[in-house]
Amino acid sequence: MSSAIVETTNLTKRYGRHIVVENLNLHIPAGCVYGFLGPNGAGKSTTMKMLLSLIQPSTGQVELMGRPMSRSSRRELLGDIGSLIEAPPGYAHLTGAENMALVKRLLGLTTEQIDVAVRAVRLQDQMTKQVRDYSLGMKQRLGIAMALAREPKLLILDEPTNGLDPAGIEEMRTLLRRLADDGVTVMVSSHLLGEIDKTADMLGILSGGRMIFQGSRAELMAASTPDVVFTCTDPHAAAAVLRGHGAQLTEADEVTVPGLDDRQTAGVVAALVGQGVGVFGVRRDEQTLEEVFMSLTAGGRL
Amino acid sequence: MSGAAVANEFAKMRRLRVWLIAVLMTLAVLGLSLFTVVSSPDFDPGSPGAWNALLAGMSLGIPLICPLLLAVIASRLTEVEHTGNGWLSQATAGITPGVMCRAKLVALGLVVTVTTLGTGLLVILSGKLLVGILAPPPLGRWTVFTLCMLAVNLVVLALHLLVSAKVENQLVALGIGVLGCVLAVFSQGLPTAAAHVTPWGYYALATAADYGGGGYIAVDVCYPSIIALAVVIGIAFALVTDRFDRQEA
Repeated sequence: MSSAIVETTNLTKRYGRHIVVENLNLHIPAGCVYGFLGPNGAGKSTTMKMLLSLIQPSTGQVELMGRPMSRSSRRELLGDIGSLIEAPPGYAHLTGAENMALVKRLLGLTTEQIDVAVRAVRLQDQMTKQVRDYSLGMKQRLGIAMALAREPKLLILDEPTNGLDPAGIEEMRTLLRRLADDGVTVMVSSHLLGEIDKTADMLGILSGGRMIFQGSRAELMAASTPDVVFTCTDPHAAAAVLRGHGAQLTEADEVTVPGLDDRQTAGVVAALVGQGVGVFGVRRDEQTLEEVFMSLTAGGRL
Repeated sequence: MSGAAVANEFAKMRRLRVWLIAVLMTLAVLGLSLFTVVSSPDFDPGSPGAWNALLAGMSLGIPLICPLLLAVIASRLTEVEHTGNGWLSQATAGITPGVMCRAKLVALGLVVTVTTLGTGLLVILSGKLLVGILAPPPLGRWTVFTLCMLAVNLVVLALHLLVSAKVENQLVALGIGVLGCVLAVFSQGLPTAAAHVTPWGYYALATAADYGGGGYIAVDVCYPSIIALAVVIGIAFALVTDRFDRQEA
C-alpha cells in the first residue's frame, strides 16, 4: 500500500447515544484524488472536521502526513492543509482581493503565492468585485483559492460542487485533476457519485457513519456482481427454465439472472441448450458506478 | 492572539462604516453637551463651575448614545463572521473563535478608546472656543470621568461582542443595545446600589456633574466600582472566549 497522507484508526464520533461516525479507518494515499462519498447525513462532514481538529473524536486517532493530529500539533499541521468546509468562505462586503489579503496577512504568505492561487481558480479578472456580487461558483473558487494560497500538501473539500451548474461542476473536476497532477492530495466529498467518479482515483463510501467501501473504481465495480443478460431464441422458455435462479424477462425480450459468477454462467448456458433454447448472447449487465453506489448505500451490502 | 489577527479585524471594518458610527457617536455626545449649556438659563461662562454644565451634558449624552452605537459596531464586525463562514474558515487557519473575539475587542476597543478620549477633548475645546468658558478646565476630574466612561464603554463593547458572536440573529444584539440605553439613562435616577446591578448602570456611577441646588454641581465619580466592573468583565470575557476556543465547530 502506498504511503498515506491521511490515516485514521477506529475514528469514532458520538453525541450521547447517537453515533455519527463509527470505527472509521481512512487511508488516503499521497497524491491522489480521494472521493469521499455517502448520502446526506452519512458523517462525511463530521469526519472532515475531525481530520481538521475542528471537532474532537470520541475515540480513535487521526494521523496526517505521518503525525498525529492533536490540539498541540493542530496549528502546525493546518499550515499544510487547505480546506473548504460547509459554505464557501468570503466576507461579502470585501472584494475578492481584500479577502485574499486577509489570508495573506494571517498566514504570512507572499503576493506571488496569492497570485498563483487566484490564477489556479481562474478568478484573476474578478478580484476587484465585492464577494456579494459573486456567483456561487465564483465564491466556491475564491474559497478554493484561499485554501490553495498556502500551497497545501492536502486539500480537503466538503461538497465543493454543491449548487453549481453542470459547467461549474465540470470546471471543478478539471481543477481538482490539475491540482492532483501538481502533487496536491485532494480529498473531496459528495453525496453524488457522478460528480466525482471521473476525477477520483480512490473512493471511500460512507453510510450511516460506517465505511462500506474503500478502494479504486475498478475495485468498487468488482465488489458488486452485475446481472448476466441472456439473449436467446425463446426468452419465455428460458425464463421458465431459470426461474429457480431468479431470472426475469426484460422488455427487450432478454433474460436477466442475478448473482451468477463465471462458472455458474457456463452452467446456465448448458442448461438452456439442454432444454433446446438456443443461446446467441451472454453478457454482464452494464452497471454504472452510480448504480453500484446506490445499491451499496441503500443495502449496506459490503 | 497575533498582530495579524488584529490587523485583519481593521481590514474587515472596511465598508462597514464603523468609523462613521464612531464619528456620529462623538458628534452626538458633543451636541448633547452643548445643548445642556444652551438650554440652561442660569449658565454663566464666567462662573468657576461653568464646566459642570458640559460635564453633566456628557454624563447624560454618553449613556444615551453609546450603548446602542456600541451594539451596532460590535454587531457589524461580528455578523460578517456568521454570513461569511468566517468562524470555520479562520479556525482552519488556526484562528479559533475565541481568538477572533479577542482580536475584535482589541480592534474595536481602539476605535472606542480614540472616540471616547477624542470626545472628551473635543468637548473641552468647544467649552473654551465655542462657549467661551473663562475658568480653566478641571483636567483631573475630566480625566477620571473620561477614563471611567471609557472603561464602561469597553465593558459594554466586550459584552456585545460575546452576544453577537453567540447569537446569530443580530436583532437580538441590537435589542439589547436599545435596552442598554434605557437602563443607562434610567440608572441615573436610581439609588447607587441599583446602578450596580447591570453593566449599563455603571454609566450613572461615572457621572461627574449633575443638576442640583439650582445649577450644575460636581459629583464624585464612583471609580472603585467601575474598576471592579472592568476587572470582573475582563475575566469573564477571557473565560468565555476561552470556552469559544474549545467549542466544536
